[in-house]
Amino acid sequence: MVLSLLVILPFVVHAQDPRLQLSSLDHLAGKANQTVDVNVDERLMKMAAKLFNEKDADERQVKKLVEGLKGIYVKSFEFDSAGQFTTADLETIRTQLRGPGWTRLVNVMSKKEGNLEVYLLFNGEQVGGLAVLHSDEKELTVVNIVGPVDLDKLAELEGQFGVPELGIEKTKKN
Amino acid sequence: MKTVSAKLFIAIALLVFSVPVHAGDDDFKSVVKIIEQFYRVKHQSIPFLAKAGMKVATTAAKIKGGDAKRIAEAGSIKLAVFEDQAFNGDFMKFRASLNGALNDTWMPLIQTLSGKSAEQNYIYLRNAGEKYHVLVITIAERDATVVQVTVSSKNLALLLKDPEGTGKSITDEATIIDQE
Repeated sequence: MVLSLLVILPFVVHAQDPRLQLSSLDHLAGKANQTVDVNVDERLMKMAAKLFNEKDADERQVKKLVEGLKGIYVKSFEFDSAGQFTTADLETIRTQLRGPGWTRLVNVMSKKEGNLEVYLLFNGEQVGGLAVLHSDEKELTVVNIVGPVDLDKLAELEGQFGVPELGIEKTKKN
Repeated sequence: MKTVSAKLFIAIALLVFSVPVHAGDDDFKSVVKIIEQFYRVKHQSIPFLAKAGMKVATTAAKIKGGDAKRIAEAGSIKLAVFEDQAFNGDFMKFRASLNGALNDTWMPLIQTLSGKSAEQNYIYLRNAGEKYHVLVITIAERDATVVQVTVSSKNLALLLKDPEGTGKSITDEATIIDQE
């Protein structure tokens, strides 16, 4: 029994959940001038993938974009003045992103001002999720996409499915 | 004869009261009640609702980035309007009570709160056979609307793609009917 637990435990520890717990930020809604909370869960993602028509070129593109995704979650807060959220608020998210499997991407180019952190969750070779943490003095946004996603997909999702404009620049392909 | 009538009455009463009440079957009314109780307001009865179902087929609403399109299925609109009343209250508590009442049967899609304009927007979805029910709740400083519509899968796709824009179009579509 003990032996089997010892064999299973390391795998359990490494099975990181690509969905972040964002409820720790909910208290900021009381201070914010604008709050956006988007929940496109797995049921809705599956539904969305079926809804878009393969025969229509635009819809086919959207269908391809959302296929395989298991969720899009966004929490965004805009404040009237600086100092309404603290490092501790950001840390509740960053702590999760320090967990096994999460890797911070460097050199992510964005047109948006402020501090932008992008993280990918790797399950072996596969990407299992993405997180974006954007903050400036008066704004805090967390985007969490569950499923196989990359920066190009994120850039395409901007302005759709509740994903805000993050100004992510697509990677240049040779 | 009297005994037969009494038995019949009892049988009907038993039948009526034994039909299980499904939470979610009348969530539209529940939401209106939640708003009324939380904010101590009253919704207005809308006489034009009867014709709304027919008129909606000719109602067009602009969807962001697209042509004028109808969103709601003809005859599917349920609408409650609260006009010129004070919506004072802790919107965090209101949101919690709303989510608590709806989350079992409805999927929350997007919720926006705007402190400056004191506006709250909520969009929930649920399956309705081959179609979908969409519940859009908008609460501003002095007014509120609760709209439930049935949409086709094509229009649900639009809603998922642009939740805020399409949600607003659904409310516009339901409320502009009386102005046509």
